[in-house]
Amino acid sequence: MTIWERFDNMDRRWVYLMVGLAVIIPFLVPMKFDISITPEVQSFYDAVDNLPDSCTVMLVFDYYPSTAAECEPMAIAAAHHLFRKDCKIITLSNIPYGGPSMAETVTRAIAKEYDKEYGEDFVNLGFKYGPIAVLKGMGISIESIFPTDNSGTPLAELPMMDSVTNYEQVSFIYEIADNATADLWISIVNAGYGVPMGVGCTAVMAPKFYAFLGANQIVGLLGGMKGAAEYEILVGKLGTAYRGMDIQSMVHFVIIALVIIGNIGFFVTKRRNRKKSA
Amino acid sequence: MSGIEILQIWIIAFFTLALFSFLYKDNPFYRLAENIFAGLTTGYQVSLIWDTVIIQKLWDPMMGGQWWMFLPGLLGLMMFSRFSPKLSWMSRVPLAVVMGITAGIFLTTQLHGFVLPQMQATMSTFVNAEGFAEFFLAALIAVGVISTMIYFYFSHEHVGVLGVTAKLGIWFIMISFGAHFGYTVMGRVSLLIGRTQFLIEDWIGTFSYIF
Repeated sequence: MTIWERFDNMDRRWVYLMVGLAVIIPFLVPMKFDISITPEVQSFYDAVDNLPDSCTVMLVFDYYPSTAAECEPMAIAAAHHLFRKDCKIITLSNIPYGGPSMAETVTRAIAKEYDKEYGEDFVNLGFKYGPIAVLKGMGISIESIFPTDNSGTPLAELPMMDSVTNYEQVSFIYEIADNATADLWISIVNAGYGVPMGVGCTAVMAPKFYAFLGANQIVGLLGGMKGAAEYEILVGKLGTAYRGMDIQSMVHFVIIALVIIGNIGFFVTKRRNRKKSA
Repeated sequence: MSGIEILQIWIIAFFTLALFSFLYKDNPFYRLAENIFAGLTTGYQVSLIWDTVIIQKLWDPMMGGQWWMFLPGLLGLMMFSRFSPKLSWMSRVPLAVVMGITAGIFLTTQLHGFVLPQMQATMSTFVNAEGFAEFFLAALIAVGVISTMIYFYFSHEHVGVLGVTAKLGIWFIMISFGAHFGYTVMGRVSLLIGRTQFLIEDWIGTFSYIF
């Protein structure tokens, strides 16, 4: 058996081990690879930074806990950026698992750093079933869809919501998603009500959203952990995404090497078999 | 760090490691974690729908005087008639309502939200291009869009000019798949990084409190 054939028949657990080592080693020995800022993240940051101070922004937690590694750093950096600008934040979620509680955890933790008060500076609307009905309904009245906030307090008792009736009072939508609800925000809210929005999404979804970016339907795009790391740099709050990029690069080196070796092996074996049969 | 927080972290770590153990081979720990996840998800979903839909959007408004809300409730109940072969015809009524509403909403949102802006952007990029580089990229996008659409045109056999253009479309689709695959690798690695960060920073971090 040649080395290429051995490689071809290699137990996949060796690949898992190599990837595992590529993940653990940079944890122990940080390599600090450079992270360049891409135009789509810069334009996202600029759009948020140019919002009028004290405006109202919807920060949407449309991601499940399973993708928190990619999406939560975006949410944390967004909360820092928005609170720093004294923006009023309305958080909500269109997914049943985790969204409202992650919104609660992230915004409350960061609000403390900026002395922001719940009900006056930020509100968590929570979750409601049926994203299409929810998004369309909020165009008429947010209170009709969310009569209470996530903990059951009527919106009428929250001072911040006195001046917010529907999308007309919302200056920007900051959608963080790992599923198709981001499409609905674009097609229903951006297209229907003209509210500017930016999308932070998982890397799997990012290629699709470049089309929306190219068509100026969204002002910017944070694609996966890389996008989150760039945003953390711009906001000046380095977090888990920034730290994870060393590991990301190392694992990519391993995967690229495996793809190249695998392809060489495939062609060498193919040529050898052809020669044998000739 | 309180005892309950440490316990919480250890439970999360146990299930993370139990699921990772599948990478070596199938085992009882993996199956235990998988079944608990399935059970929890189902239970959580049922209770959530009960609270946010049945109680908040149906029962409470009905009790508050909006008696006509019994109509959507009745339509919802009619869905359950599918379980009876004799009465299953009744489920067609709510299904027809759902299909009609969905088609109506999606027709407008897809057209205004996706089709028209994307068409407009494809054309305007081509028309507004300045300089050779921009013109070339805009032309590349236009060729990519047209050839990909022709690949999905099945009313004629893909021969001659149609065949060549469809083959070009396949190339664009393959390049797109490559970009998607690259991003998918990055996404999956990110999730692994997230779990590893938790295990090394949070879980191993609790060792100093315990040992």
